[in-house]
Amino acid sequence: MTRYGRQIEIGPTDNTSNERTPRNRLHLIPEEARASFAPYAPYNYGINPGEADMTRLAPGRPRAEGDPIKVVGKVTDEFGRPIKNSLIEIWNANKYGRYTHIEDHSGLALDPNFLGIGRTLTDQNGNYEFWTIRPGAYLARPDINRWRPKHIHMSIRGGSSRMITQMYFRGDPYNDTDPMRILMGDNFDKNIGIEFETPEDDFDCGYKFDIVIGGRNPTFFEDI
Amino acid sequence: MTHSKAKINRLTPTNEDTLGPYYPISLCDNDSMDMTKIRRGIILEPRGEKIVIEGCIKDINGNLANGCLLEFWQANADGIYRTPLTETHPKLDPWFNGYARHRTKDGHFSLKTIRPGINKGLEQPRAPNITLTIFSDGIMRVVTQLFFDGDPTNESDPLLLAIDENLRGRLMMKFAGATDDGLKKYTIDIIMAGDNETPFFDDLLS
Ligand SMILES: [Fe+3]
Repeated sequence: MTRYGRQIEIGPTDNTSNERTPRNRLHLIPEEARASFAPYAPYNYGINPGEADMTRLAPGRPRAEGDPIKVVGKVTDEFGRPIKNSLIEIWNANKYGRYTHIEDHSGLALDPNFLGIGRTLTDQNGNYEFWTIRPGAYLARPDINRWRPKHIHMSIRGGSSRMITQMYFRGDPYNDTDPMRILMGDNFDKNIGIEFETPEDDFDCGYKFDIVIGGRNPTFFEDI
Repeated sequence: MTHSKAKINRLTPTNEDTLGPYYPISLCDNDSMDMTKIRRGIILEPRGEKIVIEGCIKDINGNLANGCLLEFWQANADGIYRTPLTETHPKLDPWFNGYARHRTKDGHFSLKTIRPGINKGLEQPRAPNITLTIFSDGIMRVVTQLFFDGDPTNESDPLLLAIDENLRGRLMMKFAGATDDGLKKYTIDIIMAGDNETPFFDDLLS
């Protein structure tokens, strides 16, 4: 008997989404096979000092251009249980909207003091913190003048949990036309960082971004 | 399913999002697509038959899907996965993790591994398989499993039995001769969308 799960939708005006989104509904996984869908990454990650401070290339180096921001949050499962020792990988464009990635051919300005790649681990309570520069928006579809709003990419990995998400900024004029934001609907609020004032004056501000990992992947092994 | 009853008290999950085109390549520096060597410079190797799997990820037009991040996960030669629950399992292989991660620039991949075995202790044993997670621009995470074409245990695998018979062939890695080193080589095309689309599975609702 065939049983079906979600239908993944295509992001409007997103060519790649049109080319790569499965047209058929996802299939439900029978219980006997469920455990094999919770991959476990067995590594101990060696994080170097300063990797969570993306505002500099390395400790003691000059600060990158733009507004330094602090991003903090807690990673939990749907029951609010903290996900500990998870590797968080972070990448974002510089203040001009340019990535240092070799495949970013936009020609926008590079900042020699900004790499735009960071890593950190969640602590015993699932909390994380990193510093970066508030990214610029960038033109994703020049042919229809569609911009990507400011966003920070994050990958969360550890134990059997892994997800890739993006943190957005409230009030960005390009939020409303972003294809994935449109698909998120009202639930988009979950992906917006909540601004707060930082006690330190060398940050423009902080953002609180709690991450809830859905499904049984994050907790599968604790459940059985 | 018992777990769905508890839904009312759950937190709303954060939306998954696309990988985007610019996943940092250097973050994969310590990852390996050779599961038969979990440490460099050590002569000891995992139990089992070494094989190579070559494949590609294609889009709806049959073009290669560039810039995808791929995660592979599998059991060892005795069908045991390395997880926190199996750390002291007598059949856990000290020289096998069963985990690989790779960002494919052009849509191709090549994985060197061992043929996964069957955990005979299970009530309903699984056919040998490799779990594949794909992260890509334009779409959030999709997951599937790859099987060995012609393996007799496929006939009774609960996951294969859960999908239509005419779709099962799309999850089969086909024998394709030997590598230069004399290892058995298997190939598969993953079709992300359209005709002959690869079946993907829902690990959020299941
Ligand atoms: Fe981006």
